[in-house]
Amino acid sequence: MDQPRVDPDQELVKRTQSGDAGAFDELVIKYTPRLYGLVYNMTSNHEDTNDLLQDIFAKAYRAISGFRGKSSFYTWIHSIAVNMTLNFLKKRGRRFQLSLDDVDASIQNDKEFLQSTATNSPVREADLSELQRRLNEAMMKLSDEHRAVVTMFHIQGMPHAEISKILRVSEGTVRSRLFYANRQLQNYLDEFRKNPVS
Amino acid sequence: MDEFDDNEIARLLRLKRYEQPPPGYFENFLHEFHRRQRDEMLRQPLWRICLERAHGFMLRLDGRSLASYPAAVAAVLVCAAVISLKIYQQPETARVALQSPPALSAPASAEGEWSLTSPVATQIFTTQPVRRFNESAQTHRAAAPPRYVLDSVPVSYEPTFRF
Amino acid sequence: MPRKAVFALIFCFSASLLFAQEQAAKTGRDRVKDTFERVMAQAESATAVSHQVKDVFERAAKAVVKIHGVDEHSPICGTGFFIDPTGTLYTAYTVGGEAGNFTIEFGGKKYPARQLLADIRSGTAMLKIDAPTPALPIGKSEGLEVATPVLAVGYPLDLPETPNFGMIAGFDRKYLGRYFSTTHLRVNLPTQRGEAGAPLLNMKGEVVGIVVSSLENNSACYAVPIEAAEKIRRDFMRFGEARHGWIGINVTMARQPVEGSLAEMKQIMEDTPAARSGIKSGDILLQVGRKRVTQPEDVLDASFFITAGDIVPITVMRGNQKLTFSVQATLHPASRSGVLLASPGTPAINQQAMPLSLGSDVPPTP
Repeated sequence: MDQPRVDPDQELVKRTQSGDAGAFDELVIKYTPRLYGLVYNMTSNHEDTNDLLQDIFAKAYRAISGFRGKSSFYTWIHSIAVNMTLNFLKKRGRRFQLSLDDVDASIQNDKEFLQSTATNSPVREADLSELQRRLNEAMMKLSDEHRAVVTMFHIQGMPHAEISKILRVSEGTVRSRLFYANRQLQNYLDEFRKNPVS
Repeated sequence: MDEFDDNEIARLLRLKRYEQPPPGYFENFLHEFHRRQRDEMLRQPLWRICLERAHGFMLRLDGRSLASYPAAVAAVLVCAAVISLKIYQQPETARVALQSPPALSAPASAEGEWSLTSPVATQIFTTQPVRRFNESAQTHRAAAPPRYVLDSVPVSYEPTFRF
Repeated sequence: MPRKAVFALIFCFSASLLFAQEQAAKTGRDRVKDTFERVMAQAESATAVSHQVKDVFERAAKAVVKIHGVDEHSPICGTGFFIDPTGTLYTAYTVGGEAGNFTIEFGGKKYPARQLLADIRSGTAMLKIDAPTPALPIGKSEGLEVATPVLAVGYPLDLPETPNFGMIAGFDRKYLGRYFSTTHLRVNLPTQRGEAGAPLLNMKGEVVGIVVSSLENNSACYAVPIEAAEKIRRDFMRFGEARHGWIGINVTMARQPVEGSLAEMKQIMEDTPAARSGIKSGDILLQVGRKRVTQPEDVLDASFFITAGDIVPITVMRGNQKLTFSVQATLHPASRSGVLLASPGTPAINQQAMPLSLGSDVPPTP
């Protein structure tokens, strides 16, 4: 795998390893929003996400003295995040409580959404919102590993290569998991389309 | 369309990146992180704290500074901190510490937790254990601060022009 | 020239200069006086407004309360206000609709409260405590115009009752492409978390709306007009529940205006009051009850205020004929199923998600 030429976080990591706690704070501030999206879309629960994020950064802080820079800090912290989340999900099992976020509120600013509703067709908007809700349900029906790759690729926008580094699997495995997960999601949503809400 | 193709799924999934925590969450996150770090540190055994501090101190040391006065002062301060921790972690000797008033006025429900930061920085929270994965999320809901309600869109919503 | 004449000339010239100066000064003094009087009048007017706002706040604050509840995720806090002396209060649906274990803070004490009604379509809920209470007078939002000054009183975060002063910015039927169930008041006053359910008051101290949501980083807010909440309360008093009416017509945009209206009946649903009335698909809708219709979205307000059981006169244009049908509304199908037009993705739990800007949040590829 390619070594990153320049890790943009290298300076902050070095300072942290030298004992500069403020440098680690900067890493926390930088990575919290990104990791939030990753963990939340895997757990679908705000409280669990918050607790996991705290544990992820705590673990990273404890382990950073052993970080040798073989991968970028970005890859390293994402590995910690994904693995801790997967472990958590295994232990949590199916007892989760879905935080029913109103994606309607947040998708309004999405350019694609606005363009797709430019005709001001209320029926179309209802379909889209209902689809989002069904999609959330469908995501939770995927296995934890499949949901992880879907989250990283589609939601976080990570390339296959990066995902394979984080999960320590081959790129082929990443692609096949994505393919399978997409089929699953399609099937769940096709069922919805055949039996739409009136 | 009869079936969703990958583009449709991808588009719907991309919209999920806009799901965000409540306002103020990220601002509070670092603060909460520090608090947990302090809690965790206070629960460590004394020998471990000394070892970590000594290790950190040695990492920062070099030959020139060994001969410097600031290094000696730093060493004294480290020892003082270690001794303070020892005193504050042993409840039977807390009476000695009470000769100097606490840096922060703790709320009545606090268990005599001491913060090592300056009085201005933080309020004292009841110590909570580092989260274990086998804990149910419900324990956190019960202890959760209240959500102050003001949504970003009204709930009333009409999908079609029908009546 | 003789010396005397020169002196006389100089004297006249000086005199006229002095006179002109005097006149200018007098005009200047008048102007200053005018300006001063205007400033004084404005200051008095500003003082008067300030007194009025303070007065409205001090009177209204007595009847505004903090609401505590617990939903399935966490404790919640919001605002509400009493509307009768027996402890009935209004709040937003997001506060009183999907939580329980309600406690009201009022007069330095806490009272348990029960939910009387929660109506997602209006975005409102009613709770009740068992105690004598002050009450806010109900006004009319119909009297409001853009730039009318208004005041809200709420409990932001963990702070005490707080006034918010602003003005009506608009009357909106939709927000970012999503239609409301009825026209909402858009108000340029800053609201903070915890103020959902706050009363919106005119300068007479009458309630004209209920704050239900914020927009644009809390710099403005939406309020449900008080008439919408009162409609639901009237239903509750008559029937013990909200009774949303249903006619059974789906309306779409006509290709051309007919008699000034672009609202065309797209579909008359089977086995509905509309189907039984003789209204046909293709008819152009002109009026529903007293409400004149000129475009499809006008039906939203018309429909919101229909109560099941009401006889509603509906006027349409069919070809060259103007026809009026009297249609008795039945119960809205969503009411019957118990899910009243719930927005997909609601309940309102954790709806405080704020949209991201469209700046990319895709992490860099190292």
